[in-house]
Amino acid sequence: MTETNSMTAGLRKRLEESEVLLAETGCYDGITTLECRDMDPLKFETIHMKLRAGCVSAREIARRISASPGVREVGEMVAAIYTPEGDAIAISNGIMVHVHTMSRFIKWMIKNGYEHDPGINPGDIFANNDAFIGTVQVPDVMDVVPIFHEDELVGWAGAVCHELEAGGITPGGDVALAQERFGEGLFICAEKIGLNDKIRRDYVIRCERNLRMPIYWILDEQAKVAACFSMRDRVLELIEDVGVDFYKKISKEFIEEGRRTQLARVRQLTVPGTYRSNTFYGHVTKGKPGFQPLGDPDWLYSIPLKMDIKLDGKIVVDFEGAQPWGYHSMNCTPAGMDGGMFVTLTQHMNFEGLVNDGAWLATQLKLPRGTWTNPDSEFCATATSWALLLPAYGAFQRMLSRGFLARGFLEEVFVGQVNSPMIEMGGISQYGKPFGIAHFECAAAGSGALAIKDGLDTAYVGWNPESDMGNIEIWELDMPMVYLGRSILPNSGGAGKYRGGNAFMSTWVINKSPEVRIVTSEHSSRVFDNAGMCGGYPAPTCQKHRVVRNSNINQRAEQRKPLAHSTGLDQKDLEQFYQGNQQIIEGPHITAPMKEGDIFTHSYNGGGGYGDPLERDPVLILDDIIQGHSSQIHGERVHGIRFKGSMDDETLEIDFLQTQKTRKRLRSERLQGAVPVMKWFEAEKIKVKQGDFAPEVLKMYRAAMDLSEEFGREFRAFWQLENGFAYPEKEQKDINNE
Amino acid sequence: MKTARPVVAGIDAGGTMTDTILVDEFGTFTIGKAATTPQLESIGFLESAIEASDYRGIAIEDMFASVEVVLYTGTGMLNVLLSRSGRNIGLITNKGIEDMVLMGRGLQSWGDYSYADRLHAVTHHHPPPLVTRRNTHGVTGRMDHMGDEIIPLYEHEVEQAVNTLLDKEVEVICICFLFSQVNPSHEILAEGIARTILTRREAKTELLSSHQVRPVIREQSRLNSLLIEAYATGGGRKQLKSIEKVARENGYRYGVQTLQSFGGLTSINHPNLHETMVSGPIGGVLGARYISQIIENDSLVVSDLGGTSFDMGIISKGQIRIDQEPLIGRFKLNLPLIAMDTIGAGAGMHVKVDPLTKKVSLGPESAGSEPGPICFDKGNLVPTICDCNAILGRLNPDYFLGGKVKLNVDLAYEKFKETCADVLEVDNVYDVAEGMINMLDSEAGVALRRMLSAQGIHPSEYTLLSYGGSGPLHLGGYSRGIGFKDIITFQFAAAFSAFGCTTADFQKRFSRSVHLDIPLEAPFMELQETVLTINSIWGDLKSRALEQMVSEGHTADQIGFQPFLLMRYTGQLEDVEVYSPIDTINSVNELNRVIETFRNIYKNINRSVSDYGQTSVSVMEMGMIASVEKIKPRLKKSKLGKSKPEERAYKGLREVYFNSKWEKTQLWEMDEILPGNEIRGPAIIEHPATTLVIHPGDEVFMNEWSMLHYRHQE
Repeated sequence: MTETNSMTAGLRKRLEESEVLLAETGCYDGITTLECRDMDPLKFETIHMKLRAGCVSAREIARRISASPGVREVGEMVAAIYTPEGDAIAISNGIMVHVHTMSRFIKWMIKNGYEHDPGINPGDIFANNDAFIGTVQVPDVMDVVPIFHEDELVGWAGAVCHELEAGGITPGGDVALAQERFGEGLFICAEKIGLNDKIRRDYVIRCERNLRMPIYWILDEQAKVAACFSMRDRVLELIEDVGVDFYKKISKEFIEEGRRTQLARVRQLTVPGTYRSNTFYGHVTKGKPGFQPLGDPDWLYSIPLKMDIKLDGKIVVDFEGAQPWGYHSMNCTPAGMDGGMFVTLTQHMNFEGLVNDGAWLATQLKLPRGTWTNPDSEFCATATSWALLLPAYGAFQRMLSRGFLARGFLEEVFVGQVNSPMIEMGGISQYGKPFGIAHFECAAAGSGALAIKDGLDTAYVGWNPESDMGNIEIWELDMPMVYLGRSILPNSGGAGKYRGGNAFMSTWVINKSPEVRIVTSEHSSRVFDNAGMCGGYPAPTCQKHRVVRNSNINQRAEQRKPLAHSTGLDQKDLEQFYQGNQQIIEGPHITAPMKEGDIFTHSYNGGGGYGDPLERDPVLILDDIIQGHSSQIHGERVHGIRFKGSMDDETLEIDFLQTQKTRKRLRSERLQGAVPVMKWFEAEKIKVKQGDFAPEVLKMYRAAMDLSEEFGREFRAFWQLENGFAYPEKEQKDINNE
Repeated sequence: MKTARPVVAGIDAGGTMTDTILVDEFGTFTIGKAATTPQLESIGFLESAIEASDYRGIAIEDMFASVEVVLYTGTGMLNVLLSRSGRNIGLITNKGIEDMVLMGRGLQSWGDYSYADRLHAVTHHHPPPLVTRRNTHGVTGRMDHMGDEIIPLYEHEVEQAVNTLLDKEVEVICICFLFSQVNPSHEILAEGIARTILTRREAKTELLSSHQVRPVIREQSRLNSLLIEAYATGGGRKQLKSIEKVARENGYRYGVQTLQSFGGLTSINHPNLHETMVSGPIGGVLGARYISQIIENDSLVVSDLGGTSFDMGIISKGQIRIDQEPLIGRFKLNLPLIAMDTIGAGAGMHVKVDPLTKKVSLGPESAGSEPGPICFDKGNLVPTICDCNAILGRLNPDYFLGGKVKLNVDLAYEKFKETCADVLEVDNVYDVAEGMINMLDSEAGVALRRMLSAQGIHPSEYTLLSYGGSGPLHLGGYSRGIGFKDIITFQFAAAFSAFGCTTADFQKRFSRSVHLDIPLEAPFMELQETVLTINSIWGDLKSRALEQMVSEGHTADQIGFQPFLLMRYTGQLEDVEVYSPIDTINSVNELNRVIETFRNIYKNINRSVSDYGQTSVSVMEMGMIASVEKIKPRLKKSKLGKSKPEERAYKGLREVYFNSKWEKTQLWEMDEILPGNEIRGPAIIEHPATTLVIHPGDEVFMNEWSMLHYRHQE
């Protein structure tokens, strides 16, 4: 059906014009002076505050309606108001990632002629969860509604929720097993799902028939649409107050103001120049069931980043040298890359109000085509793109922090985000019905340290600064698993003068279900995907899962014998306490279903440390041990602390004299073990030349050099290798994944 | 008027001052004020009541013999929580989740932050826990959400935990297990074991269980309610009992009432006292609702600045904001509460300069009323904001509490110079004192902005009410630049919370957690069953309510009942409170009427698109509110007179320090200011109980209801 609508005529042309004006003037929509602000700065601020307030209260409306613990309990949503061209003017708090991803969605519809077909009319509702159109991953489902004033399109209201079930090849939303788009779940591709302010019945039926837990998705859909209508009302009320022409003018000035603010902040907080960083991510799937023979079973990605801070404050981040996309679920689209950048920047420099797409305009991402950051096949999967996004933007935070440090803003230095694995499940619920859910307690990992204090324990994730693990009693309503423990994971933050925030571990016993499929994702168990700063250590790599099938927990309980509630400090508690089929599983947990009485553990990740661990105040270490944040042996080995007394009778204290002596000795040993950089370099160079690496490392370099001439050139120059040096393909890829 | 019989005595004990408001049968009122006596609050209570009776010209015994309601509220318990000066407590919980006291869901590290700080992650941090990790003991045992025992309770572990906690001499042992609100048997068993040990060891330690204190889902919030009940309310109940004793000794015939967090009056024997912990500040919001009807603006922001804390609240379009899961002192609770935000900031706060770092800080400690600020000359030598006000001439040294307390300004100056100005190496002591006051004003102003921003509210449509003993003193400073539509304070600002409490009615709210799913096309018989269940529960709740109300002296014919339900679409996580349109449900049709009411309320709150009509609905909680109306105070309306105040209101000139210079400042007597009068700053309007500072260029106007409008210079 083709509809024509005079109200949106010329929308595509307008978008193109706006882009040309930006390119020509360097200012959003060609706005070179902020006339509304200059005329009345207080009114300018007041109007923006009203719009933002509209977004904040819309988000609260949506949280009331939602049925999903992800939205109601841990706030996984965001709401925003856009210009007709799809640029964000004002946004709520929440998952800030999606401000520009929704913008991409709106622009995609405009560029694809939606004004003609299917038409953009008052009362229409559009939805999308296709990352190549504009979102991060399938569970991030966004809804937008056009805002018309009389017969003119004056903007859009949009909201996005992260769904806990997406109907993919495995239960949950972040479908780790997807190796192509076709296993990720239910796709809504920039679809008109509602007319006349009502969601279409046939769309609801489609959701009901293609999802394991349709109530989450459908009520979230209603929640988002209600939020959009609320924002639409606020905009129309404001237009009543100030007039439509003034609204159109000032709303664009907000974005230009946002762009200028971002540039000013960068100039204020950092030192211009080139910053470089590198992080890694490794994935182990060899021998796991369900993986198709398309990709590498075990692989390692290098994530190199170059950040140029220009004199005007513009930040340009270049991912040249990144690995090619692969047949796994961790690829990312440019929309997702935007999202990661946006959410990181809002936490560091755009937190004070005028947060909108202006900030995005003041930055630039260089995403080489064909890499995981910008795949050249739209068949590839992006279901767990956060696995690579989080390490990448953690490295970005550390680069920014070097800038803050150089400029003297010590209190802003933040070692930042880490990748933290997620658990999802499905099968038969405790109510005897099919179910599927992503468990969002992962929204409360440890953060990296700061330059002035320890990182946040169990209270930070990069993708949503409003971290929340939710109540056990709410999660247990929706899953046939009972917590045996949810406890701080000692030493899970990287050591340092200020340690990284610790994470926690959950241990469950399956309850009242004959079949629970547990799938976990985003594991990097062999390489550090985070780092410390200024001498701080990285946080440990991902923990392995420990499982006891057919456990004797019930017999032990009947006999009142001690039970294990976590893996314990030495990781051996489950083996010591329970009989049954013990399993230690590295990487994502994708195995046969579990059943009542089986036990499962899952750990989240801590953040990197800051500063030399030998400089850590011994009193803080003692306090950590008492609170269970750290072990005594960790204090001794890593921080050079000597203790007196014992934890058991609460007499433990620091032996300051011995500690001082030990630390002196350790420093002297460090010096003795040091070698000149050139000596180290020469030895490493031989290894590099011979390709004397683990197979995954060799593959990693080879792939990056094949894909990026620039990376190859830099690599050869750095290691002083001859022109044309390459790592030839030695073996044929084994298509059987063996 | 003086012959009218007083019927209500409302007493609000703040951290510093205790205010009494006496309301007579015609609704007119008088106010008394005395220093709060935290060690034994009944002393301050009586003094304040005596003063109010004096103003009315009657003896205290006659007053108590006459009044039908004595209503006592205060912030004492809240201050204990904020200043972490509560009892030493121990916790027994499920083994494996002990770290919950440190993790606080993650959310407690940012929960009450502003929009900006929520995003700015480097500012987040956890609040210090109320129970130490060492005093938290896990015992093996688990119930699931259906109330089925998954792992039996290990009784020997309970014994061990109790003995260890007793060895550590904790004052209260708290017991909180997962899903005890569904099946409390493990908590009951653990409590029994503990009680046996207590008896054997002859220990006086108190025992509290979460299913008794707050039997509501969400363990973090239930735990916090329990811990706060244990930590902060212990002394509170003793105080309330002593107050009742004093009132009765002086001729009062009934039980003393206090205010619950949702706004209803209740007896001081209320079992869970933490539900009344923030009753004082709530009084302000109730009072504001009353004022909003007079000033014809139903959108208000309230601000209460006392000696130790700054409390803020919002009424939007006549609706008092209720938090079902509020944060109190940064802890998440599941307690219906008239929403208030609180920060530790008040005129009694210590001001300090660290000699080593020269870092200036305000609080968190406060001088309280005993020994009070330095200028009270009762032994305190740490300067406070109040001392700064005295040094700068903003307080009248001979008229504090109407002259009852003489302020020793020289001593305050000397000590402030020594501990602050000299340490900072600044010669001009007055500049430093003014800087301290500006810091407090700015802290309060930022807190107001933060609350508005977190609620997504724009101040230009809201009237700010300022009250509390120190509200008018700092109002000009903390409201500056925010852009409120109007700013109002009162002659009785110091007793506004007490005034507000007297506008409340007697109310009891009884409720019970249930889980009734009502499928869309349920068979008739099933619906009949549901109807019977609902009526039976309401019947029980009504009998309990009636019994308690009658036991508190009300007659059955006075009591109004309002049944309510917390309902949701099945599968949702948030309830809608539905006041049932009918008292009992007699048919399936009437049940459908209740469901229709839910759907309409749901649609109104959440818009029509959100109506997922094809889904069944669930009732999660049923309740009964029993109310008895009570006489309320009335404000007097007068004609507006001339703008110039009467000669008798003028008290002369005093040098007052504003903006780094001494200004000749007019002094006025607040009780002599009349409707229509306008006063331009710099000026100070004095009242025995408060001082209104009008900054240079600002103006104050008194309206026909004798409210004082504060206008900032354009």
